Amino acid sequence: MLVDFELLGRARSGDDGAFNQVVQAYRKRILGTIARLIGKPEDVEDVGQEVFLRLYYSLDQLRTPEVFEPWLYRLTVNAAYDYLRRQRRRQESRMSDLSEQQVMLADAAAGGKRRDEEQRKTKVREFVQSLLGKVSEEDRILLTLKEVEGLSLKELEKVYRVNENALKVRLFRARQRVLKAYEAETNKAGAAIADKSGREV
Amino acid sequence: MDRMDDKLDALWSDYREACPDPEPGPDFMPKLWQRIEAQRAATTSVFRRLTAVCVAATAMLTLLMAMVLIPLVQRLPVYSASYVDELTAQHPNTYVDILNGDIR
Repeated sequence: MLVDFELLGRARSGDDGAFNQVVQAYRKRILGTIARLIGKPEDVEDVGQEVFLRLYYSLDQLRTPEVFEPWLYRLTVNAAYDYLRRQRRRQESRMSDLSEQQVMLADAAAGGKRRDEEQRKTKVREFVQSLLGKVSEEDRILLTLKEVEGLSLKELEKVYRVNENALKVRLFRARQRVLKAYEAETNKAGAAIADKSGREV
Repeated sequence: MDRMDDKLDALWSDYREACPDPEPGPDFMPKLWQRIEAQRAATTSVFRRLTAVCVAATAMLTLLMAMVLIPLVQRLPVYSASYVDELTAQHPNTYVDILNGDIR
């Protein structure tokens, strides 16, 4: 917990100063999670504000301060899910540009190791985002929380309010779908590299 | 498939590293409070409008009821006589005699 129960209690009872402190304690972490969930840096703050806005108007419904963090994650997941749903059409058109991304990836592979670390990170971000764009919003959010955010099964149980077995099944299926997409991407990138080499010869 | 699994795990880890937690902008908090205030104002305005509608509807209903019921009430016969007067009217002889002490 980044804040103590007493501060949460004051925020719950309508103390705006206490609420401000809660937001300041969690905003960086929440913005990071949102950034990795939605993959659009320009919209991260907007979704982050939406999370804290929902928090402000629902904080009095929090039963016990112990469940605050999973509850905040739940609000984050819901806001990210709403955003992704709204952006679905735009995302689909982005996915149609994947061939360009694949060529870029192939270029990167063919050109050897990039010197610029930042460029490599951008490529990783784009690649993972394109991969996650190929599965449903539910799979995308669940996998990001588990694999990238590092939430344990116990924590995910509290966020999703489902039992561990159901969660394991959902995670397994989501991972299988991403693996399939990853394999397809790798094959396409390989084919693009071979094609490029063939043309160069 | 295991190789792909390992590669995917490595990719998640690379992705986590490539996406550090962003620093919030300087106007993050002011904008958040603006949105909170805007929502509060919107909610208040909705309640205010709802209250106005309820008051107007109540006033209309009261007026309508007054318009319908007042003429109805006015048309009803008014009973100003007492119970004894009514009995006297229905049984004039007996009661007049009894009251006069002239019992046969």
